[in-house]
Amino acid sequence: MRPVIEMTIARTLDVAPGIREFWLKAADGSALPAYSGGSHIVLGLPLPGGLQRNPYSLVGDPADASKWRIAVRRQEGSRGGSAWLHDTAAEGMRLQVAVPANLFPMARLARHHVLIAGGIGITPILSHAREMARLGLSFEVHYAYRARAFAALADEVGAIAGDRLRRYDQSDGEKVDFEALLAGRPLGTHAYLCGPQPMVEAFHAIGTRLGWPGDRLHSERFVAPPPGDAFSVRLARSGLRVEVPPHRSMLEAIEAAGVSAPFMCRGGACGQCELEVLEADSALQHNDLYLSAEVRAGGRRIMPCVSRACGGCITVDL
Amino acid sequence: MSAAPPAIKSQPQYRGLTWDASGQAHLLLLAARDDALLASLLGALPSAPIRVIDCADALAAFSAPAALEVTRAASLETALGLLDDALARASMGLRLYLAGPEDAIWQAHTIAAAYGMGRREIRLCQTGSLARPVFCVHCRSMTRHVRTNIVPCAGCGRALFVRDHFSRRLGAYMGFQIDAEAPGQVPPAETVYP
Ligand code: FES
Repeated sequence: MRPVIEMTIARTLDVAPGIREFWLKAADGSALPAYSGGSHIVLGLPLPGGLQRNPYSLVGDPADASKWRIAVRRQEGSRGGSAWLHDTAAEGMRLQVAVPANLFPMARLARHHVLIAGGIGITPILSHAREMARLGLSFEVHYAYRARAFAALADEVGAIAGDRLRRYDQSDGEKVDFEALLAGRPLGTHAYLCGPQPMVEAFHAIGTRLGWPGDRLHSERFVAPPPGDAFSVRLARSGLRVEVPPHRSMLEAIEAAGVSAPFMCRGGACGQCELEVLEADSALQHNDLYLSAEVRAGGRRIMPCVSRACGGCITVDL
Repeated sequence: MSAAPPAIKSQPQYRGLTWDASGQAHLLLLAARDDALLASLLGALPSAPIRVIDCADALAAFSAPAALEVTRAASLETALGLLDDALARASMGLRLYLAGPEDAIWQAHTIAAAYGMGRREIRLCQTGSLARPVFCVHCRSMTRHVRTNIVPCAGCGRALFVRDHFSRRLGAYMGFQIDAEAPGQVPPAETVYP
C-alpha cells in the first residue's frame, strides 16, 4: 500500500486558461521523499460526495525536497475533482497525498531520448527533461498544444531544453509528424509520449511500423474514471455490501466503506487494483487500459479504479 | 521448445535462427560455417535490405542472392570492426543476427549492446565450435576458445574450473580457481566443449 502524507497547498498559480499549478508541502514542514522523473502522486480531494483520489504527474524538480508541483487541467464533464482543485482549493488547505510512484520511468541505458507531449501531457515530460538535462543526457522535446495561450509550462521547458525544444501550435496547423520524428533515428534511441489517446495510438502504430521494438516506445496515459450507473458490490471475504453511486469509482466506494484495497495509479494503467469477479448480474463496463480483450471477454476480472458494473450487483474476491 | 531446461538459468539457450519480419533492415554476422542454417535463412528472405558480414567463408557453398550485400572479412577481428562501423550508421528498426561460436557472437553482442541494442533487436545462434570464453573471477581477464573443463587463466595462470554460470554483460562463463582449498591439487582437464 502506498504511504500517504498530509500536505498543505502552499501556492496556487493560474498558468494557462483552464490549467492551474499547485505547490504542495508537507504539513509538518519535513523534507519530502525522493522521486524520479515521470512519477505521479495521488491527491485525496475532499469532495461533497466523499473523498476522490486522482493521480497527477509531478512537474517540479526531483532534487527539490521542500515541495511537490503539479499542474491540473480542468476536465469538463468529469467527476468534479479537477473542478474542485480549480474552484475550491486554496492556499493553506490540507490534503492527503499518496507518495510518488513511477509508471513512466526513463530508460537509463538509452543513447538518446525523444520526449513528446500533447497538451497537459507536458507534465511528466517536463520532469523527464529536467532530470535528463541535469544528468547531461542526450534528449529533445516535442510539445504540441492547442494554441500559444494553452502552452502551460512552455517557458519552463524552453529554459531547460533550449533549442532542443520544438513547439507545435495546432492553431497554426502544426502537428507532430511521427513518421518524420521516428524514422532514421540512431540505434539505442528511446521515445516517450504523454498525450491524448489518438496521439498515443499513432505513436505506437507508426513506431512499430518503422521497426521500433515495443520496449523503446514509452507512453503514459491515465484514464479518469467515467461516471456510470449506480450499482452494488459485495465483498466476498467480509460479506460487506457497498453501494457505488454514479459519480464515484468502485475503488473509492470500497475505500469509503473502510476496506483497504490495492492500488497504484488509479488511472486504469498499472494493473495493481485488479479484482476477481465471482458473480455479476449485470454487464461490466471496462474503462481501463490494462486488461486484454480476451480477459475482458472472460468477465472474471475488473479494475475497480476506473471500471464499473452497469447496475445490479457484482461480487468480488476482496 | 522441448529442450531440457538448462542446468543453470544463466546459461544461454539458443534456438535456430529466423528472420524477424518486424525489422526494417537486417544485419547478419556469420562467424562459423553452417550450410544447413544458411540454406534455411536464404530460403526465407525478408523484403527489407540485408547486409551480411562473413568471416568464416560461410557463404562458400552458396551463390548469394543479389539482394544481399555481402562483405567478407579475413578475421573475426576485422568482422567486429565492420560490425561496429555498420552499427554506428544504422537506424532504429535494424535487426541484428549473430551466428557462430559463443566467443564470436558474444563479442559482437557486447558491441551491439554498447549501441543500445536490446534483446528484441538481436538474435543469437550458437554454431560451429562449442568452445567457451571464460572470465577469471580472480584477475578479471578473459581466456578464449576454452574446450576443457579446467583451464589455466590467460591472465594470472590459476587453474580455473569452467562453470555453466554465464554473464551476458561480459559475454563469458565464469572461471573459479579449482585448487583454492588444496593448492596444487588440480585434476586432469577433459575436453568437454569440442
Ligand atoms: S490502480 Fe492502476 S489500474 Fe487500477
